[in-house]
Amino acid sequence: MSVAIEFCDISKTFLSNNLQACKNVCLKIEQCEILCIAGENGAGKSTLMKMLDGLEAPSEGVIKIRGKSVNIQSPLDANKLKIGMVHQHFMLFDDFTVAQNVTMAIEPIKNKLFYDKKKAEEEVGKVINGYGFSIDSKELVGNLTIGQKQQTEIIKMLYRKVDFLILDEPTAVLTEKEIDALFENLISLKKEGKTIILITHKLKEIKRISDRVAIMKKGELVGVYDTSSLSEFEISSLMFDGGVSLGISRTENAFKAEKPVISFKNVTVQKVNLPRPSLDNVNFDAFPGEILGFAGVGGNGLGFLEGVLSGIIKVSSGKIFHKGKEITSFETKALRKDGLSYVPSDRLGTGSAASLSVAENLIVNSLSEFTQKGILQKDKIEEFTDEMLGNFSVSGTKEVPISSLSGGNIQKIILAREIERVKDYIIFSEPTWGLDISSSQFVYKQIEKLRDKGVAILLISSNLEEVLSLSDRIAIFCKGRIVKMFDNEGKISRHEIGDYMLAQKSDYKEGENE
Amino acid sequence: MQIIYSAISISVPLLLAATGGLFCELSGSLNIALEGLLLIGAFTSVVAAHFVGNVFLGVLIGMSCAMLLSYIQAIITFKMKANMFIAGLAANLLASGLCTVLSFKFFNNKGVVVFNDVQKLKVLNFPIPGQTIFTYIALLLLVVSYFVLYKTPFGIHLRCCGKNETALVSLGLKPDFYRVTAYIISGATCALGGALLTLNLGSFVPNISNGKGWMALVIIFLGNKNPWGLLAASLVFGLADSFSNFAQGALNVPADFILAIPYIFTLIAMLVFSIIVKKKKEFK
Amino acid sequence: MNKKQSVFKNIINTGIPFVIMISLGIVIILSFLLSATPFKTLRYFFFGSFQNLYYFGNMLNSAIPLVFGGLGISIAMTSDNFNLGGEGQVYSGAFTTTIVAVALAPLGIFGGIIALLAGTLLAGIIGGLSGYFKMKWSTSELITSFLLSNAIVLIVNYLITGPFLDPETNLLATRKVPEVMRLQKILPPSSLSTGAIYAVIAVFLVYMFMYKTRTGYELRVCGANPRFAVYGGLDVKKNMVLPMFISGAFYGLGGGLAIYGTFFSCMKEFHVGLGWNGLAVALIARFKPKAVIPAAIFFAWIGSGAKIAMQRCDVTLEIASIVQAVVFFLITCEVFQRNYFKKKEELACK
Repeated sequence: MSVAIEFCDISKTFLSNNLQACKNVCLKIEQCEILCIAGENGAGKSTLMKMLDGLEAPSEGVIKIRGKSVNIQSPLDANKLKIGMVHQHFMLFDDFTVAQNVTMAIEPIKNKLFYDKKKAEEEVGKVINGYGFSIDSKELVGNLTIGQKQQTEIIKMLYRKVDFLILDEPTAVLTEKEIDALFENLISLKKEGKTIILITHKLKEIKRISDRVAIMKKGELVGVYDTSSLSEFEISSLMFDGGVSLGISRTENAFKAEKPVISFKNVTVQKVNLPRPSLDNVNFDAFPGEILGFAGVGGNGLGFLEGVLSGIIKVSSGKIFHKGKEITSFETKALRKDGLSYVPSDRLGTGSAASLSVAENLIVNSLSEFTQKGILQKDKIEEFTDEMLGNFSVSGTKEVPISSLSGGNIQKIILAREIERVKDYIIFSEPTWGLDISSSQFVYKQIEKLRDKGVAILLISSNLEEVLSLSDRIAIFCKGRIVKMFDNEGKISRHEIGDYMLAQKSDYKEGENE
Repeated sequence: MQIIYSAISISVPLLLAATGGLFCELSGSLNIALEGLLLIGAFTSVVAAHFVGNVFLGVLIGMSCAMLLSYIQAIITFKMKANMFIAGLAANLLASGLCTVLSFKFFNNKGVVVFNDVQKLKVLNFPIPGQTIFTYIALLLLVVSYFVLYKTPFGIHLRCCGKNETALVSLGLKPDFYRVTAYIISGATCALGGALLTLNLGSFVPNISNGKGWMALVIIFLGNKNPWGLLAASLVFGLADSFSNFAQGALNVPADFILAIPYIFTLIAMLVFSIIVKKKKEFK
Repeated sequence: MNKKQSVFKNIINTGIPFVIMISLGIVIILSFLLSATPFKTLRYFFFGSFQNLYYFGNMLNSAIPLVFGGLGISIAMTSDNFNLGGEGQVYSGAFTTTIVAVALAPLGIFGGIIALLAGTLLAGIIGGLSGYFKMKWSTSELITSFLLSNAIVLIVNYLITGPFLDPETNLLATRKVPEVMRLQKILPPSSLSTGAIYAVIAVFLVYMFMYKTRTGYELRVCGANPRFAVYGGLDVKKNMVLPMFISGAFYGLGGGLAIYGTFFSCMKEFHVGLGWNGLAVALIARFKPKAVIPAAIFFAWIGSGAKIAMQRCDVTLEIASIVQAVVFFLITCEVFQRNYFKKKEELACK
């Protein structure tokens, strides 16, 4: 096998925050292989590949394609070198067709000026069929499923005749079945002579699909190995400091007999411009001392559930109760008064104010305790902040803007604020997304403590591992409905769960209360 | 009937400004300096026509000046990451300051400057009575804009800037290029609109744009950011203005009130529009 | 690095000195282009205000309404509200104060205070109206405040030149405010009045309000991240109307004090530029109350220099508005460039 791409001593430092994302990386990628680049969040995997795609430029070092040094300044340059990247977040325009998206920036032209719609649809159709996909080139991207949207992204690159296809965390939003389909496609692309580079941190997938795995840790390349020579545990040990298994100890619920804290009765949310409800007849009870996990693939209702629970999204029909009191029409302000504690999925956009200080972020939901006759009590606030920083092991001063803290520390501040004031229930949404191992473990410990205290915990997460390792009971969402609710006792297989998530199976019956 | 013909001719500068502004809005950044660009176009076109002796050349020079100002505004907004409202404000202030300063410098006159040697625009009575050639130029530009925006790659990319900038970057395209170009286009169309105002009179009147740039912004939204909607909305505003002129003559309303009408009307139109958007429920 | 050095570094880092240098450079260029006697023009522009107590005091005096405007805008902007209606708010506030003062002449100083409150309240209501529209219908307060302001200026013009015209003078102005209500001069022969003292007090009060009170905190949170404010349970709706009301009220107060201290009657369009300059002052001060006074004096200096140069040489007053526009351009780059880097970092963290 010949060396197709070589990273020679590549380093990258971001000027705006002085972060060294890559340190002296020397990596050789061979032709016709499937290579996984593995590592935790922040290890430098995406940055390294973005340099190959022309979205970032190396601070030091050189990239060589087939032995020749190249200077890749934009994705168009990368395309010319037959390199293409499918990003983690889709780069598609929902209002335009598949053909338009695929040919964007290199559109076929008629009469020297105008976009040749017909030709584009024909040519894209040829590529689609040639590689065995089954999407209509005339379809609006907005109408496609997530799996199909990803296929569109891949077709976009194949249309540009790439030989090297980079995929950044491609399975994050797919179900088991869609992952199977994706991997089949990748294997057949490899047979056609393409080189596939997969950025991922999912151990099972690394073992399943790759020929070699390059492991990165804190910006450095730890090593490149034949996948068959390493076990999952060994890969994980190389990625993290020690192979850590996350989770909490599951105990018998001491509060099981008590009444539910939060009850959803036939809750439906219907957007005017959509044919299907976003939440469809959702019924569940959350009990004290129990972790109720909500699982599902992105776009199937988890976001709307979070929105309804936090008072941002209005319910079209149905009722919500908090210990018997109806709170259906309560907006966030009223819910807070009623005892809402909520750790949002969007840390920076919703959970914190970047330019305000740590102290100012901590007091927003408990202002009456820190003001007297309208004046802020500076001493009390400082005391509280110091206490929180200590209890939650956050290093740093209280005066700096919160945006200068790391992602893990920001989440700790948010936790501190919400946990400190918790009444009888708390909502966690994507609590460890983007966090490193030690921060994630810290979060899980906090959740465990809350459970032991008798707080009802509603855990919303698209990370199935997380839901499975923490929850006492699990509700699976698919297309806005709860299609399966079960006790987490290991009796249901991962594949069966996947079936529920993709509507292959469902316990949902029309008009029935659970 | 006269009111209708008058409405059409009054709506022309509005339509021209709105067309340019449409490019900006579709590329994802509102240009609030349309007012200043109209003013600059108005002033420089007629002054250039006076100095050069040729109306056509004067208009071209006027367009260049407005395009230069909008280019500067765009560079500051996009390359230097300024706040686009404040940059637009600054452009407006610069425009009005420059007009007064230059008017004083060249003609020693901060008020109305009459140019007797500049030929006034000819009134054409066919096919629509009471129009000038600018009416047809405006319509032509609108149709051209439709084709550019919806049928050419440039226009498609420009509209994508407003929808998903990151996606555009991932394809190797530069959103800033489209935005800056949109600003320059708006400079050109506003200059034409302004030129119409002064060339119609053969003189420059301070603050001749009097809120038309702001009305153009509202027209873009009322017209649902779509070329044909723009045409309809401009005619509505033209009718309102035409009627208020009639009111000034027929009913005895003080001049200041008449001048205030465009602003009040724009304000009410904006409020009505907001109410309608708000009422459109997102959830049942 | 000791404290003095780091303060200095902070100031340099904001780029304000850079902005000031460029705008003064523009003045120099304009003088050469437009004046037959550029050096004389420049001399009067830069140093004219310091020639004697008269010019100096007047310069400080013209800074007073700018301080009030700047404070009001700072409050509005830190809660993410754009008040572009300053011109109309100053004008209408001043006008209302004047005619109520004239009407309440028999009540003496007491009447003067009521009149000032009336002007402040009216201007506040006008500003608050835009905030109300934003709260109820999500209409851009930036556009509504601007449009309302333009219309109001025209209406007040009509009122001054019509029903409220002073028959005893040749000026286009209202009747004069009773002597007992006028402010004391503190630096004769200039017009510098006790308004300056009120301005300093106002700065102090606003600083305390924004950083030490609960409402001030809530406003700052709404401006820093509106979604976070909703999430935290704050009353966001109230915080759309209140800051707009306050900034309108401050503009009106500044206008009223200008009448009591300097003009004594509301002349047609005496206010021109005060609204925009208030905004510029707030921008230069980066919305921090402590920096409003130096920023206001800087702007007053530009305006005063332009006026003196105009009186003594052959340039026109509007040079000041060109300089002002340039300052706007430059300031907005600087102020918002830092926010842009912050946002880029946030996205990179994800």
